[in-house]
Amino acid sequence: MNRRQLIQQSLAVVSMSLMLPAVSLAVQRPFKIRDLYNKDLTFSDYANVEVGKPVFISGYMAPPLKANANFFVLTARPMSVCPFCETEAEWPDDILLVYTKRPVEVISYNTRITTKGILQLGTQTDSSTGFVSRVRMISSIYDRA
Amino acid sequence: MKLKQNILLPLVLVSAMTQANENITQQSNQWYKAAQQTLQENIAIKLNTKRAKNVIILVADGNGVGTNYATRIWQGQKNGLLGEEYVLPQEKFPHIALVKTYNTNAQTPDSAGTGTAMHSGVKTKAGMLGVDDSVVRGDCSAVAAGSVDSIAEILAKKGKAIGIISTARLTHATPASVYAHSADRNFEDNTKLPEGCVGQKDIAVQLIEKMASGEVDFAMGGGRRHFLPKDVKDGENKSGRRTDGKNLIEKAQGFGAQYAWDQASFDKLDTSGDKPVLALFESSHMKYEHDRTNEPSLAQMVEKGIKTLSNNKQGYFLHVEAGRVDHASHDGNAHRAMTDGAAFMAAVKKAVELTNSEDTLIIVTADHEHAIAFNGYCGRGTPITGLCMGIDTKGTKHTNTPEKADDGKPYTVLGYLNGSGSVLKEDQNWTGTRPALTQADAIDPDYIQQALIPKSSETHSGEDVAVYASGPWAHLFNGTVEQNYIFHVMLHAATN
Repeated sequence: MNRRQLIQQSLAVVSMSLMLPAVSLAVQRPFKIRDLYNKDLTFSDYANVEVGKPVFISGYMAPPLKANANFFVLTARPMSVCPFCETEAEWPDDILLVYTKRPVEVISYNTRITTKGILQLGTQTDSSTGFVSRVRMISSIYDRA
Repeated sequence: MKLKQNILLPLVLVSAMTQANENITQQSNQWYKAAQQTLQENIAIKLNTKRAKNVIILVADGNGVGTNYATRIWQGQKNGLLGEEYVLPQEKFPHIALVKTYNTNAQTPDSAGTGTAMHSGVKTKAGMLGVDDSVVRGDCSAVAAGSVDSIAEILAKKGKAIGIISTARLTHATPASVYAHSADRNFEDNTKLPEGCVGQKDIAVQLIEKMASGEVDFAMGGGRRHFLPKDVKDGENKSGRRTDGKNLIEKAQGFGAQYAWDQASFDKLDTSGDKPVLALFESSHMKYEHDRTNEPSLAQMVEKGIKTLSNNKQGYFLHVEAGRVDHASHDGNAHRAMTDGAAFMAAVKKAVELTNSEDTLIIVTADHEHAIAFNGYCGRGTPITGLCMGIDTKGTKHTNTPEKADDGKPYTVLGYLNGSGSVLKEDQNWTGTRPALTQADAIDPDYIQQALIPKSSETHSGEDVAVYASGPWAHLFNGTVEQNYIFHVMLHAATN
């Protein structure tokens, strides 16, 4: 996606949000996790422009790290674990930590969801879990895509 | 026998030419002419019974006949063709066989058992490396008695230089099957060894000890974390995993090894062959080709390996693995399986370019297939990761109109029988329907192909794979063979 497409898509999302404030997340046109990163995993122009603003991102809910959590990890592809190949889950580099407004109701790890929240950038360690993230969404809501 | 062949060959040639010159209605048809050309090329094949100075085996993990078919079409379409007609580099090789991949205790094999079969000449149980099937998986105490010699160990003793290249961790099953003896493929560093395990060392230590002794000269892939203590950060600020305090990278540098960990240090490696090479490009596996940045391609690694090992006058053995074709299929993500498959094909092409088939046996194969499957009926040139487009009865190329299933929805050409793309969802009590699907969705690089059976990770299958070969004694590959036979051809070719 080039910069022009990014801007057009950003405008489309903003436009839809303004015009259809009550519309469900499922009909928004979300960005994808990869739109937050350049290939070398530095933050993209889109991420730098949207930081601190509400964004729509689609992906998959990784199986929550603990029950009754108020956060989950959004992944670009479902978190698959091959029992023959690996002894533990391998987190991909391009993940998004999503802090939710309400306790998380789990959606299957292989169902595409859309999340809406405020974008935060920069490395941060979660005080309760020790989970280190580079990108977060806060005050988030989510639904099946 | 040889005399008889010499007499018969001209007769066969004359006969073939005569047939070609007969007035057959379709003889000007392009397909007819192309097949005639192939016929003549095959008639002209000469068997090479020289001793192989060099042996290269290139393994695309999980690249069975079906996956190879998909990569062929993918690469052809990337080259501007319809795709089906494309010929992959190894498909130009003169000799081929089908390979039965099962492990002694598994109809569906794993890469440790298959790697051991290819490199040691005996089948064994799933999950074990360089040991025979007398060993119970995980039983360290049985490793010494159950160990078998690998082709690398045998040829190293005969003076050949030894190289191992993989896009997976170097301690992962397939590359480890070249050099390691382990009751479990997961014993990649000391933290994975069971308590009281004294019968074997962990896999990373085994590699470095082989390099120190001169049995391995060139090792390049991923997996830094298994070579570093947990309190040591690597070049990308990721911690090691070892709890025994051993810094195996420093140890390798201590006995004179060159070390590379990114593109810049890779580019600086000396290829004179005077010093062993250890390159570890990621903490875990190397990146998928689609995501690759700041680390070399598989073809670049093969070029570096051949140039380095070629300095040994007595020749070399080189194992090359495209380890992540398998991982992408486990994820149900055909796009990355294809792009890593294409990177593998580029590596095969590079190996062919840099060697001489008169003295180098090149073997291209896979360790196993996946639960990949192909829908129909799709028209020519249908994008292989995209929707199945209709057949144009008036022409050649597809209609650009998606075929629809009985549920009224389009479907992709390529799917997996199981995996995370399952349409059955846990939060819907394992029920579900196929989601609506557009071409944009299907050809997206992150798309997960639809599957039926829900599995977190899509599985291998026990289906046959192919083995393609060129060079000395390549003609020993024909028919349908057991996977452990591959070792025997390599050994015969290098030592006859």
